[in-house]
Amino acid sequence: MDAPAAFRQQLLAAIPRLRRYARSLMLDAHAADDLVQTTLERALAHWHQFDQRRDLVVWLIGIAHHAHLDELRRNARLTVVDPAQAQAHADARSFDPGPDLGLRVDLVAALRRLPLEQREPLLLVAVEQLSYAECATVLHLPVGTVMSRISRGRVALRALLEGQGREAKAARTLRRVI
Amino acid sequence: MNTPDDNKLSAWLDGELDAQEAAQVEAWLGERPEAAARVREWAADRDALRARFDPVLNERSPQRLTKAVLESGSRLARPWALAAAMAGVFVLGGAVGALVAWQAAHTDPAALAQQAPVPWVQRAAVAHSVYVPEVRHPVEVNVADRTAPDVRAQEEHLARWLTRRLDVPVKLFDLREHGYELVGGRLLPDVAGPSAQLMYQRAGGGERVTVYLRKPDSGPEADAPAAFHYARRGELGLFYWVEGAAGYALVGALPRDKLLALAEAIHRQGSAVEVPALR
Repeated sequence: MDAPAAFRQQLLAAIPRLRRYARSLMLDAHAADDLVQTTLERALAHWHQFDQRRDLVVWLIGIAHHAHLDELRRNARLTVVDPAQAQAHADARSFDPGPDLGLRVDLVAALRRLPLEQREPLLLVAVEQLSYAECATVLHLPVGTVMSRISRGRVALRALLEGQGREAKAARTLRRVI
Repeated sequence: MNTPDDNKLSAWLDGELDAQEAAQVEAWLGERPEAAARVREWAADRDALRARFDPVLNERSPQRLTKAVLESGSRLARPWALAAAMAGVFVLGGAVGALVAWQAAHTDPAALAQQAPVPWVQRAAVAHSVYVPEVRHPVEVNVADRTAPDVRAQEEHLARWLTRRLDVPVKLFDLREHGYELVGGRLLPDVAGPSAQLMYQRAGGGERVTVYLRKPDSGPEADAPAAFHYARRGELGLFYWVEGAAGYALVGALPRDKLLALAEAIHRQGSAVEVPALR
């Protein structure tokens, strides 16, 4: 059965928050929206599994988390880049300086270098303002693990931000167009 | 109270402690200005993260996402509906194909950009189109249709010859696992010097794919990590990348996933073994 119109409306309303989470996870607007699209498609295909008593955004973030892991596994061997896509990436970057350039570069560069297992719970709690319990549900981890990864993430992020001036540039170029 | 560890301080910042524990942590922090300063930094980082990503909330949702919710999704997920839709496509046939091509060409600049990849990849595509239809002289050095020891000797000759002329380690990739036999290779003119083309054919006289090899233009790219790029020119699909001392372009009239499997095999073999240049 097709997803009912009411569910689709709920999904539409959730897109901005889903995009924020995906952006903070991927640190790239285009890749983030790809992840959001995959998430929405999966949500539509499994809409009947959603318990209306739960928070839809938390449910969607859980789907996005798994979709991202799937993608990491798929891409573990190789990076595939369409030239047009790569160009679009470059354009998106150059046209979106963000609210505070200096702050953004440092913060994003530091985030990029934070291990995913610390970055994700930290973002879920700090930016998405999920509770530790919600975060544990999304990541399929015990609450205690979530708590320690968040605190380790905070310590590591601070260290990266403080020691960064010298190395910030080294982390920049991950892909190139031939 | 006992000294609270980072977990507890961090949980306090996130409002995860019950009232009694929170009060204890606050009292403890009140007497430890250094620890309090540290927690304030964490709070500042948290605020900076929010400030960085909150603006996304005010962006307009891209059309493709709202469309994904409102239009696509579960309707086509039903197998019979998908089959029916595909049958419709076949019935309409060329008309639909032409329309899609027309739309792609007129509405999607990305599609146009894909038709014009970098110049040397263009040359790889042209070389493919020129030699693949050849019946009698598809390659300069033929390694197929020989007895086993002969094949080996001829392969060795081809690899050494191309390696010497290109000044790039040329490896003859083994694609038999994917059903492709090496036909042979030839030397080609590139802009600044020679390049090479290796031709493979699907066992039993099937379709041919070519691998174009060249020494990359000098530049900072030489020690950058490999990235696969994909392009289509009409029927032809191209995967191209630069790794180590060589630029590679795989060309074939194959669907993207099949071509990618071959490209991955070539990439694996190319980075695994190098034939030393023998002069």
